[in-house]
Amino acid sequence: MTFLNTALLWGVLAASIPVIIHLINRRRHKTVKWAAMQFLLKATRESRGKKKLRHILILTCRALAIAALMFAAARPVVSGLLGWGGGAIDTVVLILDRSASMEIRPGDGLEPRRAIVLERIAEAMTSLGGARLVLIDSATGDPMEVPSPDVLPEISQTSATDTAADFPALVTRAAEYLAETPGRSEVWLASDLQATNWEASEERWAGARASILALPQPPAVRILALTGETAPNNSISLVGSRRAGDELVLDLQIVRDVAARGTANIPLTIQLDGASTTEMLTLPAQSLTFQQRLTLPPDSESGHGWVSIPADGNPRDNVAYFAYGPDRPVRTAIVAPRGEAASYLSLAAAPPGYGGQEAERIDPADATNLNTSELSAILWAAPMPTGSAANLVEDFVGDGGHVMFLPPGSATAPDATFLGAGWSEPEDAARGSFFILQDWNRGDGLLRDGLDGSPITADRLRSIRRQIPQGDALAPLARWEDGEVFLSRMVLDRGTAWFLGSLPDYTWSNLGDADVLLPAVQRLIAAGSERFDAGYISTVGARDAGLFGDETRTRLDDYGKPDPANAAHEAGVYRLGDRLLAVNRPSIEDDPEVLSRERLDELLEGANPTLLEQAGETGDRTLSRDVWRAFLIAMLLFLIGELLLCLPPRNNSAEAIPAAA
Amino acid sequence: MHSFIDRDLLSRLGSLPVESRVPMMGNVAGKHRSPHRGSSVEFAEYRKYVAGDDTRRLDWKVFARSDRFYIKEFEADTNLRAYFVVDASGSMEFEGAGEKKIEFARKIAASLSYLLVNQGDAAGLSICTDKLHLEVPPSRRAAHLERLFSTLAALEPEGPTGLLDALHTIAEKIAQRALVVILSDLFTDPAEFGDALQHLRFRKHDIAVFHLMDPQEVGFEFERPHRFVDLEDGTALVAEPSLIAAEYKTALREFLTAVRAKCSDASADYQLVTTDTPLEPLLREFLTARLSKTKK
Repeated sequence: MTFLNTALLWGVLAASIPVIIHLINRRRHKTVKWAAMQFLLKATRESRGKKKLRHILILTCRALAIAALMFAAARPVVSGLLGWGGGAIDTVVLILDRSASMEIRPGDGLEPRRAIVLERIAEAMTSLGGARLVLIDSATGDPMEVPSPDVLPEISQTSATDTAADFPALVTRAAEYLAETPGRSEVWLASDLQATNWEASEERWAGARASILALPQPPAVRILALTGETAPNNSISLVGSRRAGDELVLDLQIVRDVAARGTANIPLTIQLDGASTTEMLTLPAQSLTFQQRLTLPPDSESGHGWVSIPADGNPRDNVAYFAYGPDRPVRTAIVAPRGEAASYLSLAAAPPGYGGQEAERIDPADATNLNTSELSAILWAAPMPTGSAANLVEDFVGDGGHVMFLPPGSATAPDATFLGAGWSEPEDAARGSFFILQDWNRGDGLLRDGLDGSPITADRLRSIRRQIPQGDALAPLARWEDGEVFLSRMVLDRGTAWFLGSLPDYTWSNLGDADVLLPAVQRLIAAGSERFDAGYISTVGARDAGLFGDETRTRLDDYGKPDPANAAHEAGVYRLGDRLLAVNRPSIEDDPEVLSRERLDELLEGANPTLLEQAGETGDRTLSRDVWRAFLIAMLLFLIGELLLCLPPRNNSAEAIPAAA
Repeated sequence: MHSFIDRDLLSRLGSLPVESRVPMMGNVAGKHRSPHRGSSVEFAEYRKYVAGDDTRRLDWKVFARSDRFYIKEFEADTNLRAYFVVDASGSMEFEGAGEKKIEFARKIAASLSYLLVNQGDAAGLSICTDKLHLEVPPSRRAAHLERLFSTLAALEPEGPTGLLDALHTIAEKIAQRALVVILSDLFTDPAEFGDALQHLRFRKHDIAVFHLMDPQEVGFEFERPHRFVDLEDGTALVAEPSLIAAEYKTALREFLTAVRAKCSDASADYQLVTTDTPLEPLLREFLTARLSKTKK
C-alpha cells in the first residue's frame, strides 16, 4: 500500500488530539469541595479496571477514527502487485513476455493479454508513482528505462511479436541489471506461463535463481500470470516445405481450440506469389497434419506466399509463411554392388514417372568419389564406409543429408563401423518360416502412418534373412517378431542415418514389393531434400533470420498489418539482402501447456515469488486501486464503536437511588 | 431575627403538636404520656389494692359492688424533652444544588424547637463536630429559644464527623427518656451508626433521623473532570465523573439502604431529605406521621 498524497500523512498525528484533549481536560479540571468523599473513593477504586479499559478503548476509537480519516485523505493505493507490505520502491524491472502466445484474447475481452496487462501495469505504476520502470522485453532481452508508465502500451518494445520467450535468460538479465542498480527493487514478470517459454527443465534456472538471490538487496519477485479462459483459437503452422519439380509441397498442421469438439470445416486461404485461393478444410479431430501441394507458375525460379485460417482468439497464429527457390533435381546415390538389391533400391529412389527424381548406383569401391553436394539421400547397401568414405558420409549427414544403411551380407568387421554402428552376423530364418515385422513406430520414422492416418503395411514384410543393426547410439523404430531390431535411427547434427535390417533381394526378403521400401525410401529422400529448401524457411529469433553484414530487411508479403519498427520480431516473408526467407513463429508458441504453480515456485525458490493470477482477465481491471473508501468505512466503524462504548450501561437505570423526602 | 426562622411557617404548623412515640418521664405535667400512673383524667386500668397504696385512689363504687378493694389507675401526662443533635462536621458545609446542609439542619432544629417550647415541652441542642462540641440543656422557657437560635446561628461546620461518639455520649448522659432528633448527612460507617442508634434505643429514647443530602450528592451529575476536595480532611481526588457515576451511585445506594435498615432496626423515625426539599411539607409530614403513630 502506498499513498498518493504522502504530505497528508502528517495529518495522522492528529490522531493524538483526543488523547491530548483528554490530558488537558484532566489538567483543566474544576475544583469542587465535596462531602460525600467515601462514595467517590469507592467508585474510583471500583472503576479502575473495566472502566479504565473502556475509557482507553473510547480514546483509541477516537484516535483511530481520526487516523483513518487522514489515511483516506492521503489517497491510499493498494496494489495487487505490491500487496499490503509494499513501501517505497526505487526500481521496478518489468520482464514482459511478448511472445506470440501473449496475443490471445481473454474469453470476454477484445484486447490481447499483452495489451491488457500493459495497461494495468501502466495504471499501477502511475498510481504508485515515484518508482523507476525498467522494461526487459522477451523479444530483445535488453533493459530499457521507460520514461513514463503512460507510454508503456505505446512503445514498440511492448508491441506484439511472433517470437518465443526465454525466461531463464530474461531473469538472469534482470539480475544483471539490478546488480548495477542500487536501491529497493522489484521484478515483475508478466507472462502467460507457457511451459515451453519457461523451459522449466533448463539447467540455466539454477544460475538465474542464484543471480537474483545474490543481489545485495534481493528484489521481491511478482508474477502476473496471464492465465485463465481464452477466446476460441485455432492455429496453423508450417511443418515442412520442399519444392518437387513444379510443385511446392507444404506440410501443414492445424491445431483446434482445446475446447473444440466434433468435426469442423475451416476455410484455408493460400496465397502464392500474389494469387489467392481458398478451399474448405475438414478437421475431423483436434489437430490435423496434412500436405498441401501447390502447383508453381511455369518457369518460376523462386517465390513466396502464405497459408492462413480465419481470424480468431489469437491473430498471430493464423498464418504460415513459405518461400521457395529454384527447382533442383532430387538425386539419390545407391552405393551397392550391382544386383537385385541395387535395382530395387534404384526403383524405389526414382520410380518411373515420378517427376524429377534421379538415382545413380555407385560401386562401393568408388564411394570415395561421391559428389554429395547435389544429393538428397544415399542408400548404402555395402559394408560400412571407412576412411575417407566414412568422412564423406558423415559430412553429408551433418549437412542435413539422409543415408540409409542396408545389410552388406556379411558381418561388419570390428573396425568397420560407422560412428559406432555396425551389423550383426547374417541370420537365416528357420526353414519354412519368416522373420515378420510385428512392432514399429507409427508416429515417427520412415514407417510412420501417412498424413491421412493410413498405415504402412509393414506386416506384409517377410524375410528369410536378416542382419541386426547394432550400436549404442541407435534408436530402434521397428522390431521383428522376436524383438530384434529391424529399423533404427541415428541423428547426427542436421541429418540422420537410418539402418534397415534386410535387403530387397529374393534371397533375403520381399522388401522389394514396395509395401515398405518405397514409402521408406521416398520419405528418406523427402527429408534429405529439405536441406536444399531449408534456406528459405526460418523462425523468428533464429540466427539466419537476422541480418548479416550490410543486408537490409524488406517485407514481401501482404498479410496483416506489419509493424516496420518491429520487423525483426515479426513473422513474414522477407528479402534479407539477396536472401529470400519465410520467417514463421516458433512452433513452441502453439504449445498449450502452462507451467504449474508448484513448478514456478521451484524455479524461483528462495525468491519467494508472489503470484497474481488471472491478471489477464478483463473482469478485474485493477492491479492497484484507491482504498480511501475502506478507510472512511473504518472511520465510521470506529465512531460507531466509540458511540456504543459511550452509551451508559443498561443496568445503571434499573436500580434507582432510594427516594428522598 | 434569624434567617432560619420562618414565623409564617411556624404559625401554620402551630396547630400540629410534636408528639413522642414512646411514653415520656418528666417532673412536670405535660401533654405526653408517662410510663407512670398518675392523676390524669385518662383511665388506664384497675389493679388490686396492696398495702401502702394511697387509699384515696380506691374505687369505692367497685368495693360497694364486689366487696373487693381495687385501685383505679389513670394515665399520667408529662412533658417531653427533645434533644436536637446537629452534625457540624465539615461535610455539612457542602452546598451544591440546594442550600447548605447545615443551613437546612438549622431550619429543622429551630422550627421543631419552637414548636416544642410553644407546646410546653423542653428542647435542648447538642452540636457535634469531631466530638460532642456543645450542649444546650433542654428547657421549657420561651427565653431559652433565643439561646438555641443563637447557638444554631453561630455554627461553623468543620473537621471530621464525631457524630457516633456524640450519640453514645448523649445516650449515656440523658437520664430520662427523650426525643433525640439527629440532623446529619451521616457520612460515617452505617454499622457503627446502627450501634449508636441501638444505644439510644436501649436507653428508651425516641429517635428521629433527618438524613440530609444535597441533590448533587445524590445525582452526581458533572460534565467534565473535577478535582474533589474533601470538606472534612482536605484530601483531593481528580476524577472523571462520567466514568465513575455508576459506581458512585451504587455505593450511595448501598449506603442509604444500610442506613435505612439500621434506623429501622432501632425503630428510629428515618427521613432522607435533600436540601432542595420545601421545609413546610417536610415538617408537616414528619409531625403528622408521628401523631398517627402515637395514637395507635
